[in-house]
Amino acid sequence: MKKADHNKSYHGVWVFGDYRHYFQNRVTLQLIAKGRELAQTLETSITALVLGDHVNQYAMEYVAHGADKIMIVDHPALKDYRVETYTKVIAELIERYKPEIFLGGATAFGRELFPRIAKRVKTGLSADCVALEIDPETGNLVQTTPAWGGELLADVVTPLHRPQMATVHPGTFRELPHDASAVGRVIYPDITVEADGRVQLLRSKTQPKGKVNLEDAQIVISGGRGMGSKDQFDLLFELADLLDGEVGATRPAIRAEWTDEERLLGQTGKIVKPKLLITVGASGALQYTVGVQGAEVIVAINRDPHAPIFNMADLGLVGDGRAVVAQLIDELRKRV
Amino acid sequence: MVSNQRESKISAHHNYLVNDALTPGFALGNPGSKDGFYFLADVVLPGESTPRVSARLYDHEGEFLVELVWNRIKANPGHTRFQSLPNGFRLLYPSGEAILSVQTERFTNGYLSRIQGKLYDEKGGLRMEPSLESVTVYGKASLTLESPFEFSA
Repeated sequence: MKKADHNKSYHGVWVFGDYRHYFQNRVTLQLIAKGRELAQTLETSITALVLGDHVNQYAMEYVAHGADKIMIVDHPALKDYRVETYTKVIAELIERYKPEIFLGGATAFGRELFPRIAKRVKTGLSADCVALEIDPETGNLVQTTPAWGGELLADVVTPLHRPQMATVHPGTFRELPHDASAVGRVIYPDITVEADGRVQLLRSKTQPKGKVNLEDAQIVISGGRGMGSKDQFDLLFELADLLDGEVGATRPAIRAEWTDEERLLGQTGKIVKPKLLITVGASGALQYTVGVQGAEVIVAINRDPHAPIFNMADLGLVGDGRAVVAQLIDELRKRV
Repeated sequence: MVSNQRESKISAHHNYLVNDALTPGFALGNPGSKDGFYFLADVVLPGESTPRVSARLYDHEGEFLVELVWNRIKANPGHTRFQSLPNGFRLLYPSGEAILSVQTERFTNGYLSRIQGKLYDEKGGLRMEPSLESVTVYGKASLTLESPFEFSA
């Protein structure tokens, strides 16, 4: 592949180390795995950027999960996240070290931080990407992201500016297994960290963890607008109980208040990769399917035989989802 | 080029902090020396959790104090005391003042050992002193060992 002249001084793939709620939050590890693949294609290295106070544990974790290098900025002023301080430090590091690609999680944190960094270093940013690949001819990063309200997937490239920045939804990629024998390089840049005096953190409170564990569920039953009502949607919980699964939902089902926001699947919700997904009464809008396309087996039930959901289903059943689910529950009860 | 940045190796399993940087292992002087100062914080391999420290230490006047081999006293003309701790050990002068301490912090998947101490060589030269949470070292040093040191027979 041939790099454009104006990009030749940029090297390496960076991943922002978002270690909050570690070990539950795996997005950084997933990005290190994908970043490693991209770095191998570009014949360069993968670096995890870790900002904070006493962050050695996370640096070691990132090495164990595939990072070649760790860049640590360890300073008391970085203990609590302040967007201005973090932006300033990261922008300075980017301008100094010139990474070719910089990736972060499309979490609330990443969605706030990454646009500011991109603006500061005058480059583009693709948000909520669902795929990342290297163009074999140009070496540019092809960033696939939902566009037009999720109606289509757009391949975005940043040919004229560096770094190429993207945020990726948690669960999009798979992390590499922990390798205790791994060894990497650690870099401590000489950088002055100044706390942003305009904002003072008075206290922080951890939000209680929800009971929903969709990301790890082996079986997910997901419902859409076609379930018709909250009572009918509740049938999905009965079915999930019988199958030891979890219940997910499309945006219309959430809007109708049939279930909680934490069960939302798709572009702005959770991305799941269960062994079995039963999707009921969901038409198959792109913003939903990007969240469930990693399921090993997809069973789709919908009244409309032309619903796009059947294009991705391993098994399609045309019929009233509510009746099919009720019948399934009856059959399963007889066997339990 | 980037000025004044510090670089080291980092292990996914166990590291020491020296000169405010992580390293899988480091050595001062010539490890295994029979007649001179050395300090070895050896590489800890996966499956092991205890740092292995070997050293030949002197006081500030260059008098031979103690020789440690893999956390055990081998020679002790200075009548030092070895004190085991829940997460490491301390080496004390007869007066009770600490010569050296090694404390290991356990993470979910790894270990970090912090060394503290003021160490001198056979000429009374300062070779290590405390610095915040780690130590600053002086003189001949290998700050990045990648595999366990092998003592010659």
